[in-house]
Amino acid sequence: MMDEVLLLQRIFDALFNSAIYSSLALALVIIFRSTGLLNFAQGEMATFSAYIAFVLLAGAAPGVTGGGLAGWFGAPFSTPLAIAGAVIIGIAAGATTERVLIRPLRNAPELALVNVTIGILLALNSLMAQWWGTGPRVFPPFFPSAPGDHLGIAGARLRFSTIGAWLVLFALLTLLALLLRYTRAGLAFRAVSIDPESAALNGIRVGPTLMYGWALAAGLGAIAATMSANSVLLEPTMMVRVLVYAFAAATLGGLDSPKGALVGGVIIGLSQTLIPAYVPFIGFELSVLPALLAMVIVLIVRPAGLFGTERIERV
Amino acid sequence: MSGDDWPKPFPRPADDETSDSDAGAPGVFAPSSDPETGPSAFSVAGVTSESPDPPPATTTTGVTLKPPDPPAAGAAVQHFGTGGPHAPRPPLRRRISPLSWIGGALLGIWLVAMPLTSSVTELRQNTQIVVMVLAVLGVNIATGYGGMISLGHGVFVAVGSFAAAYAVDDLRLPWAVSIIAGAAFAGALGALVGLPALRIKGIHLALVTLGLAIVFQPLAKRFPAFSGGVSGRAVGAELVPPEWFGTSRWAEGLYHYLICLAVVITAMWLTHNIINSRPGRAMRALRDNDTAAAVYGVNLVAARVNTFAVSASLAGLAGALHIVLVPFASQESYPFSESLVLYATAVLGGLGSLWGSVLGVAIREVFSWLGALFENVGGLGPLSQFLSLLDEEQFVFGVLLIALTFVFPRGLIGMFTRRTGERAPRFRRNRTRA
Repeated sequence: MMDEVLLLQRIFDALFNSAIYSSLALALVIIFRSTGLLNFAQGEMATFSAYIAFVLLAGAAPGVTGGGLAGWFGAPFSTPLAIAGAVIIGIAAGATTERVLIRPLRNAPELALVNVTIGILLALNSLMAQWWGTGPRVFPPFFPSAPGDHLGIAGARLRFSTIGAWLVLFALLTLLALLLRYTRAGLAFRAVSIDPESAALNGIRVGPTLMYGWALAAGLGAIAATMSANSVLLEPTMMVRVLVYAFAAATLGGLDSPKGALVGGVIIGLSQTLIPAYVPFIGFELSVLPALLAMVIVLIVRPAGLFGTERIERV
Repeated sequence: MSGDDWPKPFPRPADDETSDSDAGAPGVFAPSSDPETGPSAFSVAGVTSESPDPPPATTTTGVTLKPPDPPAAGAAVQHFGTGGPHAPRPPLRRRISPLSWIGGALLGIWLVAMPLTSSVTELRQNTQIVVMVLAVLGVNIATGYGGMISLGHGVFVAVGSFAAAYAVDDLRLPWAVSIIAGAAFAGALGALVGLPALRIKGIHLALVTLGLAIVFQPLAKRFPAFSGGVSGRAVGAELVPPEWFGTSRWAEGLYHYLICLAVVITAMWLTHNIINSRPGRAMRALRDNDTAAAVYGVNLVAARVNTFAVSASLAGLAGALHIVLVPFASQESYPFSESLVLYATAVLGGLGSLWGSVLGVAIREVFSWLGALFENVGGLGPLSQFLSLLDEEQFVFGVLLIALTFVFPRGLIGMFTRRTGERAPRFRRNRTRA
């Protein structure tokens, strides 16, 4: 293959990851914007949803066994139904988490919230390893991904799964924009994000509104995880590295900017594929390093990121 | 709130968000009377000079109590912040509960009886537990005293063990030098990590250190000469006890135990001294309010880098001692979850307290013992699968971390020492306002 074609091919390959990182980064941004909290458990919550889908799909395809809890829900379901079920359960779990673990701590120091999210991360990770085993599981593809399922563009192949991931992402973005712009809950959410105190004074119930935000974020995470479970292999730690990429993407774009999450996801996704390809030292395994460095540099040089709001700190 | 009329010398961003009565708003920077468990470095008192502690009085029960601050200072007390003039802050008073005596006695008995009653293997494992105190203490220094949440201390432990292994094997240095070299190397790396911490604070620093913990394994594989690459490195040199000590395997184990115990106690004593000296006060001042600390002449750069270096070198020391006990070092032993469990141990024991770290490690062992009891309960269907979860350290620590945040926000050490008028270490919450 010629160099330009190879480069184009790598960019196409990167775009699938970009879509995943963007959606997870968007979930992180939704929570950070409304509560000022970085949800370290976002990745594990998403992985958990993917495992739920895995259970619901038990027996649907060869190798899809459902693992420890198979048969409890009357599996197998068809793929769209299973994923919808997993997303709904994920949303419910996200909302419950907010209500039970986060809301009682609304006046607590930052450390308490870090502790709770780290606790969820550890507990969920271990729970999944116990129930479904640490080894990678076969997960049926979300999009048609047979060897021939691609578009040929200038000699490079744009796979259907990449196109599908971006279509899903744009559909989600549109849905999110509509929800935030045209529903009362969305209006309340925007108000709470800007200033919870004034919002409360105007009669908005801050708690349930934040729960709505957590539900949205958990849903986004669930979709991202089920979309990527086929390509990165379903295992308890599958989202750990992805979470670093997503955090890097969110930081790069600005932690409180949805647009930033999208752009950051694309940049981080491209760099994750292109840097290891051209810098031999990095290699595939160490591709987290550039993302981490990007995150550190952004936080040092421009903490607001590309599109974020400058933080004005009163002393 | 009545206190709003009073001048606030250093209103903090968190002030408008915490509705609880904030009696500890910084007033005059006076070193607190007993900073061992790390109360606010800014105590509200009208005196700027440290009043010397009168000798402790002993009650009939034998419990040593610290007398309250001299009342003479109380006359001049001017309260700032939301506490208001009518809510005088109670003087810091240390009450050592009987529980601490029991705990201390148990610890002492265990330290003496354990080597006498255990087999060679058990002795080795228990020595590793003793060494772990240092790693947890490292997390505690950064997070509890310095206010910099570190989720990546497993990295420093690993680097300490690699550096010590490199020094003793490849450079053929004596053990004592190698162990110190391991701690020093980890400390230097910690200082390097501390540099970005000048700008990156709070939850963002937690994020970066978590990233560090995740990136560590693949990164370590890239330096095979240092870390042994994928498979890790075996340590060839052995720390052999002198001949008069005996040559049996058990004597060797005891020798290692005594050396590790001595190093741990020395390190804890040094840490205690650092915490109660000027750099330590700077650490806590930084944690409570860095702007105020800077106003009072604390060099923020030096204080942050120092804190991280001290905390990382403690973790590195733990790693270096580890290769004395187990002659093998590999990145495999330090997945990111190991760092998180270290952090959880520090939080569980109690941040901002030296003994909290000891307690945290003890609790960790108690739970791993409890978990082992449930491990092989079979025949209960899904329930036995759930019970075997209790043997998973990660799961137990995750759940405990959540539970403790609600039940004992100050960590379990809060059961042992209770003070009136003291708050847990504060962490400011930065909110982005769009």
